[in-house]
Amino acid sequence: MPPRIRRPYLRTPQALPSPSHRCQCICKTRARQFSSTPKHATRVRDEMFRWLNGPGFVFRHPLPGSTNYLNAYDRYGRLVRAKNRLVGKNEKEKAEDEEKIDENADEEVNEDGEIVPKKPQKIKEAGIKETKNEPALPRETMEDLMPFPLNRQFRSQHVLSEELKDAIYERVMAEGQSVRTVSAALGVEMSRVGAVVRLKALEKEMEKQGKPIAFSYAKAVLGMLPSTPYVPYAPVTHESINDLPVHRATETQIFHPVSESRHFTRRDAGKVFDRELKPAEERVPHTELVQLEKWRHEGKIEVERIRLQREMEAKDVQSKKALERKRKEREAREMRKVDTERSEFRFQDIRVESVGRSGRSKEGVGARYGIPHQDRKKGQIKIPMRVA
Amino acid sequence: MVLKIRLARFGKRNAPFYNIVVAQARTARNSKPLEVLGTYDPIPKPAPQGEGKPFKDIKMDTARAKYWLGVGAQPSEPMWRLLSMIGLMEPKYSIQKMQQAEAEQRAARKEEAADASEGR
Repeated sequence: MPPRIRRPYLRTPQALPSPSHRCQCICKTRARQFSSTPKHATRVRDEMFRWLNGPGFVFRHPLPGSTNYLNAYDRYGRLVRAKNRLVGKNEKEKAEDEEKIDENADEEVNEDGEIVPKKPQKIKEAGIKETKNEPALPRETMEDLMPFPLNRQFRSQHVLSEELKDAIYERVMAEGQSVRTVSAALGVEMSRVGAVVRLKALEKEMEKQGKPIAFSYAKAVLGMLPSTPYVPYAPVTHESINDLPVHRATETQIFHPVSESRHFTRRDAGKVFDRELKPAEERVPHTELVQLEKWRHEGKIEVERIRLQREMEAKDVQSKKALERKRKEREAREMRKVDTERSEFRFQDIRVESVGRSGRSKEGVGARYGIPHQDRKKGQIKIPMRVA
Repeated sequence: MVLKIRLARFGKRNAPFYNIVVAQARTARNSKPLEVLGTYDPIPKPAPQGEGKPFKDIKMDTARAKYWLGVGAQPSEPMWRLLSMIGLMEPKYSIQKMQQAEAEQRAARKEEAADASEGR
């Protein structure tokens, strides 16, 4: 296989041609030239039109289900990742290109602006995969996901497809699965699952209120980004879900000599950093996955593992309920609520002694005496430095 | 001198925030009190999730408040209202009280009217 030569694209025109430029090919044949453009720019324009009618022609009807970045095509306008699939004969390729164009035309006719962005594309992609005898188009490589040819460090990251978002919302809200379970099942981070559920709920609320939703915008943006599809029985992992968060205590380097005879594990290493620091397997977001792997190593059969996992989940739910009950009880004990016509008065019982012997302790309740406010002073940081 | 349970205004312009204090009656409002019993935030906070009424937060050491009332401290009018909410004082202007009084008056008037008609 010849090496990919992608640099020539850097010479492609940066700006769109203006209407006057577009008719340049025709104007050339005329006797009088109205354009006062200097001579050297004509060559550039020639190059531009050569590109537009040559390798750039494929972008006139972008490939559905693909990001269609410049870098995904070689200098002859052929899709690099489809090269292996094709025999490599130009005529055949051209024929296929025409086919693709036809498909696109169909798509344009069929679509109206109100369709949820990803669906038509996905259907198309599936159609291509099923109907053609040739192997399906391979997934985009990292090399293909470079939207800006000059910035070789920037690669587009996959986003959740609309079906996947719907599936997440369905599982959490309709089926009542926990965020943790859905996250582990679909390979999407827990915080992202939470965000999807909240945003979907918002979208449905807006739909109910009859507010306009920017479907065309979403379709356009999502069309330019690679997305993770939703495959119900074989979910595609969207991202790494069990990353160990960096703890502040572990940011320093510590040289800690240990005698060879000592049994020194990860747990002990954690304690060297901080006495309260838990071992890594308890700090990762999905501790239950670690446990599952441990059972597998112990040689437990699948039925047994499932049973144990169910038990663990039930226990988790129980403890959460107990905590919630305790919190409510404590609140009821310490808080007295008195309803009035307009508002509710919440009386919280406190201890006067909390101000300390000097009466100036920070833990004490109320504005302190003899301690001026610093908030008008120069150089005070007013943005919150931590989240409570 | 008379001891008062009263409010001392702290906070900023348009954002009042009060300390509930025990102080000598004749001292200045924000002078150092005998004791800070708690705080009162008079600006109602919106109800969580938009359900129910907005709420006002009051933090108070009820045991100390009881003690100071026991030794003769006199609550100011706003403090009387707050203390009566948690049953430390007899309500001064209770709506129920007023309604009851009205009902009694009405009943008395009716009786009078009945007596007058019987007398005829």
